[in-house]
Amino acid sequence: MQRDIAIVAQAQVMTDSLDIPRERMLFDLVKGLFDKVGITRHDIDGFVLNSNDFEVGHTIANVFEDTPCGAYMKDETHVEADGMWAAQYTTMRLLSGNYDTALVVGNSSGASTFRPYLVMDYQLNPTYDRQLGILNELSTAALQARAYMAKYGAEEDDFNEIAARLLRNAALNPYAVRSKADATAGDVLASDYLYEPLRQLACYPFTDGACAMILASGKRAKELTDKPVWIKGMGNSVDTYYVGERDLATSKSARMAGERAYKLAGISNPAKQIDVAEVSAKFAYQEPIISEALGLFKEGSAGKVASKGLADLGGSMPVCPSGGGLGAYVFTANGLVRVAECVRQLKGEAGEAQVSGAKTALAHSQDGFCAQHNGVMVLSTEEG
Amino acid sequence: MSAQQERIVATAVVPLDFTYNYRVGQYVERYIKGLGQKKIMGVKCPGDASVIVPPRKYCGRCNEIMNEWVEVGPEGTIENFTIAHVNLNKGVVEKADTEYIVALVKLDGATSLLPAKVLGVSPVDVEVGMRVKAVFKDPVEDSLEDLSHFEPAG
Ligand SMILES: [Zn+2]
Repeated sequence: MQRDIAIVAQAQVMTDSLDIPRERMLFDLVKGLFDKVGITRHDIDGFVLNSNDFEVGHTIANVFEDTPCGAYMKDETHVEADGMWAAQYTTMRLLSGNYDTALVVGNSSGASTFRPYLVMDYQLNPTYDRQLGILNELSTAALQARAYMAKYGAEEDDFNEIAARLLRNAALNPYAVRSKADATAGDVLASDYLYEPLRQLACYPFTDGACAMILASGKRAKELTDKPVWIKGMGNSVDTYYVGERDLATSKSARMAGERAYKLAGISNPAKQIDVAEVSAKFAYQEPIISEALGLFKEGSAGKVASKGLADLGGSMPVCPSGGGLGAYVFTANGLVRVAECVRQLKGEAGEAQVSGAKTALAHSQDGFCAQHNGVMVLSTEEG
Repeated sequence: MSAQQERIVATAVVPLDFTYNYRVGQYVERYIKGLGQKKIMGVKCPGDASVIVPPRKYCGRCNEIMNEWVEVGPEGTIENFTIAHVNLNKGVVEKADTEYIVALVKLDGATSLLPAKVLGVSPVDVEVGMRVKAVFKDPVEDSLEDLSHFEPAG
């Protein structure tokens, strides 16, 4: 990239039931982050806020986020799509050379304010799909899972194994809102079907929460932390909205987003060069589709990856040591949380979920039905 | 003051009740008129020859206007399906009275898959590759719902 940009620090807060106002949650989180880094809001050149108007129920949802986030009279802008786009946009602003420090904050109160499945209903084409009531977040996801099973001979049990691993990992993550330290595929199998093969425990839990990160140009980052996490590459790609026109079993847009990020980061063999990946999967079955598209595993290998434990914490390619979207899914900010989890890994702050010696991490994000839009960021402990 | 002391006890319930009036455009209008004659109309892209149902003016891949109308179906093949155990009612999951089939159907002559309900076959017997045919409302009402569902062909 044209200029060295690093993430200085991250902060997260998550709950399955927020009992304070959203603004108070943001104030505590951001003020706490400033204190941790030892700066004030005046040290931040640009603010990028990330939330969803429809979910918040307020056009220009950031109107009441500016003040608690310290953006009063500052250079501020808003991103409505998934939080990784906010992180990428923030990075681009720093790359422009016009900013040396930036704050990015994403939040959602999808557990207490509004229903994520309804937000997704309102993403449907209003003049056709929304009129008929056949497609929704769960039916489209189930069709995508079935497409993968049909193409590669995968079994529902493979997805249940993935869900169990993520729920076990979530037990090591202090921010997770749902976890089970001894989860097994049998536990997932015992939970109710929504649309086959989706079972309740293999779907994301509704979550209230927020994630904040401070980014800075290289020189400034080194003044603010002794462990900067360098942004080496990023990319995104958007597929068509129409699920009936896509090969749902694979993700071409995730592959292209990955290729764009890898090119910038100088990654030619992702499975070897990446030490840990945080993939945005709303449902367990999405993890293999996306991680395979990103070149972390062979196409159609969900069963083998699960049975050999390749994606486990101690495996050859650990995926979502945080528990990913099955431990907590901050609607809108989820991609930002994936970046923050990579930062925890690369700073060696992931506690029991630490992947030892992690130097290069991949964060992935998605938006839309069946992960229509995909984004990737590659992060590293090494500068340059 | 700590967050604990500041706990809110009340929730402000704020309904937003409004209606959007979208123009559906000539393509969906023509599709609906076709359904009123128990015909399923698609459009063909001059660039990649894909035949899209329901019809849409633009091909994303080719960045071209799809302008050749073709009749497709009424029979087709189930390419993918799921068994629904629930309904989503304004974003709330509710248990369905009976399990039902949601499928992606490839109509004869189309390249895109049409999301549809399939009736007349038990969820345990449905399979990919099954031939189905469109069932229209009788009498038709000149609406999208005129294409009611699919059922096994023959
Ligand atoms: Zn075309």
